[in-house]
Amino acid sequence: MAALLAGALNLAAQSAAVATEAPQPGALSKANLAKPRPKPPFDLTGTWQHGGGPNNGFRFTPPAGIKLTAAAQVQFDAAQKAAKAGKVYRDDIGQCWPAGLPVIMTRVWPIAMVQGPTEIFMISGFMNSVRMIYLDGRKHTDPDLVVRSFNGESIGHWEGDTLVVDSTGFVDDHHWIDTGIPASDALHVVERIKLINNGDTLEIEYTFADPKSWEGEWKSTKRFHRVEDTDITEASCLPDLNEHLPSTHSSVNVR
Amino acid sequence: MKKILSGSLILLAVMAAAPAWAHHSMAGFDRTKTVTLVGTVKQFKWANPHSWIELDVPDGKGGSTDWNVEMTSPAVLIRAGWKSNVMKPGDKVTVMAHPQQSGEPGGIFVSVTLADGRTLTDRPAPAPTDGQPRPNP
Repeated sequence: MAALLAGALNLAAQSAAVATEAPQPGALSKANLAKPRPKPPFDLTGTWQHGGGPNNGFRFTPPAGIKLTAAAQVQFDAAQKAAKAGKVYRDDIGQCWPAGLPVIMTRVWPIAMVQGPTEIFMISGFMNSVRMIYLDGRKHTDPDLVVRSFNGESIGHWEGDTLVVDSTGFVDDHHWIDTGIPASDALHVVERIKLINNGDTLEIEYTFADPKSWEGEWKSTKRFHRVEDTDITEASCLPDLNEHLPSTHSSVNVR
Repeated sequence: MKKILSGSLILLAVMAAAPAWAHHSMAGFDRTKTVTLVGTVKQFKWANPHSWIELDVPDGKGGSTDWNVEMTSPAVLIRAGWKSNVMKPGDKVTVMAHPQQSGEPGGIFVSVTLADGRTLTDRPAPAPTDGQPRPNP
């Protein structure tokens, strides 16, 4: 009986220790939404399409001369070898793996963006992939607790007229920056987002670091234009889709 | 029709340099070759992110081959004048496609001539002359 009581007391003490850190309120909780906040410099709510203009291709290609890590070099060399042989190297998106950040941003599908006071939702017309960007002042989740994902955990804050979004917590496989350029769980993406051209162009400067894949960091800037006569639609990667798409089950695919 | 087709061909040339709309690599298709498939529609799928045509193509020797022809999204097809009911199983059609590099029966869509004689591509009608930009897919 004494042992049982001691055990119960011990459990109570542990619960008290765990409870010292208040749980993060949901971004859409009533209390969080009701907190007073400064008016944001802009509202990016709208439907956006990447593309157009110079130096605005859909690929995120690291600069020439970047030093890949040994692990990434293996992937890069294998992709080069496959391309020379007319093969397609690990086209995971074609096998229904999520595109993930940053590639999800530049598919030829519009992205619906909805901005609230505590959170921005970016929903791609491509597989309806969702990004949640928290604006409620939270910090990144403990790396030992975060549930890793393809779009990562994105936290935004305002710096003057710029929305700065910091993303970490990525998965460590089936996630690519470009053909043969792998993203690892150490990927860190910073987006500096500006609304320009009278609110009709969204400009995002990307900074990429991933010490498990390359040395240092590199940048890429993409522009998106507002589209007023388009909505995103439901799109799913279903088993019968790939059965009927020659490109995804062709023998040219190297997996 | 001839006028529309020539407009489409011009657009085809312009769009050849555009990024792929696909959800995957398109490197497996040989865009320097075009095959003509005369066959019977088994399935015409009107779906995101891709539509497709599954076709039964007789080989002239009493047998036939199942071909899958990959297409763009319905949103793009609508701008090119398509509806979901332009084809149904059993229709006799002629499909032009760029074949797979591997030689497997499959290709990426170029055009279809329907049972009623109409030819459809996946390219939008020629741009309006009012100078208004066209929306992207």
